[in-house]
Amino acid sequence: MNFESVSQPIDILLVEDNEADVRLTQEVLTDSKVRNNLIVANDGAEALSCLRRQGKFKNSARPDLILLDLNLPVKDGREVLAQIKEDADLRTIPVVILTTSKAEEDILKTYKLHANCYITKPVDLDQFVTVVRYIEDFWLAIVKLPANQKS
Amino acid sequence: MSAQRIKVLLIEDNAGDARLIQESLAEATDDPFDLETTDTLAGGLRRLSAGGVDAMLLDLALPDSFGQETFVRAKAQALGVAIIVLTGLHDDTLALKLVQGGAQDFVAKVDVSGNNLTRAILYAIERERLEQEFRKLNEELERRIRDRTAALEATNKELEAFSYSVSHDLRAPLTHLHGFSSILLDNHASRLNEQGQKYLRNIKDGAMRMSALIDDLLMLAKVSRQGLTLRDVSLNSLIEEVLREFESETHDQEIEWRVGSLPFIKCDYGLMRQVLINLLSNAIKYSRKREHPIIEISHKIINGKQAVLVRDNGEGFDMKQADKLFAPFQRLHRDQDFEGTGIGLATVQRIIHKHSGRIWAYSEPGMGATFYFTLDSEISNPAEKSAARAVMV
Repeated sequence: MNFESVSQPIDILLVEDNEADVRLTQEVLTDSKVRNNLIVANDGAEALSCLRRQGKFKNSARPDLILLDLNLPVKDGREVLAQIKEDADLRTIPVVILTTSKAEEDILKTYKLHANCYITKPVDLDQFVTVVRYIEDFWLAIVKLPANQKS
Repeated sequence: MSAQRIKVLLIEDNAGDARLIQESLAEATDDPFDLETTDTLAGGLRRLSAGGVDAMLLDLALPDSFGQETFVRAKAQALGVAIIVLTGLHDDTLALKLVQGGAQDFVAKVDVSGNNLTRAILYAIERERLEQEFRKLNEELERRIRDRTAALEATNKELEAFSYSVSHDLRAPLTHLHGFSSILLDNHASRLNEQGQKYLRNIKDGAMRMSALIDDLLMLAKVSRQGLTLRDVSLNSLIEEVLREFESETHDQEIEWRVGSLPFIKCDYGLMRQVLINLLSNAIKYSRKREHPIIEISHKIINGKQAVLVRDNGEGFDMKQADKLFAPFQRLHRDQDFEGTGIGLATVQRIIHKHSGRIWAYSEPGMGATFYFTLDSEISNPAEKSAARAVMV
């Protein structure tokens, strides 16, 4: 795979309320081999505004990938997921659930809400780096996503 | 005998029989009975619904109802009323059946006399009273069971909410502890002296140990809550699967695996997998310091039961401490020698007990350890089974 040929930077929406988690993900993505542009939404309501390009997100790009935490203030991650997957325009964007929870009810529930995949965030940073690499490799290089969604 | 009068309802259409019974009761010592007579079931049922009847003498062959049906209909109306069935000459089989169905007694009409009718009525009333008490106690018990079950379910829900919160909320800060100390070590190590770097590594290790502890505790809690789904599982293929999982962590260890031909066992697949993962990772851990580690999995009959054996040639333990082996948080080795949370074997024991099985271990320090477990569910080998069937045919 030749990642260098991907000229357009990839837009990733990270929905995460915890500042430290945001920083960690930023750190990991900075070293990424895929050029990326990280947009951060700090709660569920913000995530939906961003996806619908409302308010301060008026000029935001449509993300290629969504990294969604589950336990969020204002609007819970499960609710955000449900609304994304109900929206004919947004549901084609892959949603990766990235959370510290290993609870089986979360895994089942989010798949029932059509999450594209569920990943438990490893405590070990090296493993987290590996996981993020896999996410990039798979969703941004291996799989084919619908074209011309950016407009 | 209490001075209170006893209300007896006689349902009998034969006037002669009715008179005979009336006279017999009048003969009774102290004459404690007030007798009312009706000649149809409908009349009897009307009287019963008015209440106040203590006992009922019931003829089964009435103008408006016959046989067992008479009893069933009367019984339905006669809660708390002792029923004595009056039978003809050869009705003992039916009468017995009625007693099983809730009649207190039966008296053959030919045997009716003052004494035995009095005795039958008094005993029947007493039996009915005991039965009522018994029913009440039973209802009380059932109510208590319902209450307790509800309380247990509530506790269980709370526990689930608790372990959910542990799973999510306790792990999140650990990712920060480990993540940022890793970043400091990777990107800013030059600004720290040797000791500062060591402290950061301690923080990282602490976060990882805490994470392992949380995982193990959640597994232990899950094992307790989860029900069993029993099916025939091939131990050999299960072990193959588990060993594949260990490949990445054991590639620098030259372990000689000796896996015999093992039977099928009736067990919960997921839980048995956890048993083997814990027992085998234990064996790997404690034989790590051996130059030539050997881990052997076999089976044999012990006290008439199939037992599965996991043997290693590792560190072993002192048999004096064997009782601590399966207790949660008990560790027999120092953490710097062999790391661990002390929950793995407790989980194994809980799973084996859930299968109504037994687990024990034998060891001598420095001589390796052998873990044995049996399951109550029969260990079955499909090949042997079909052979047995063939012999029986």
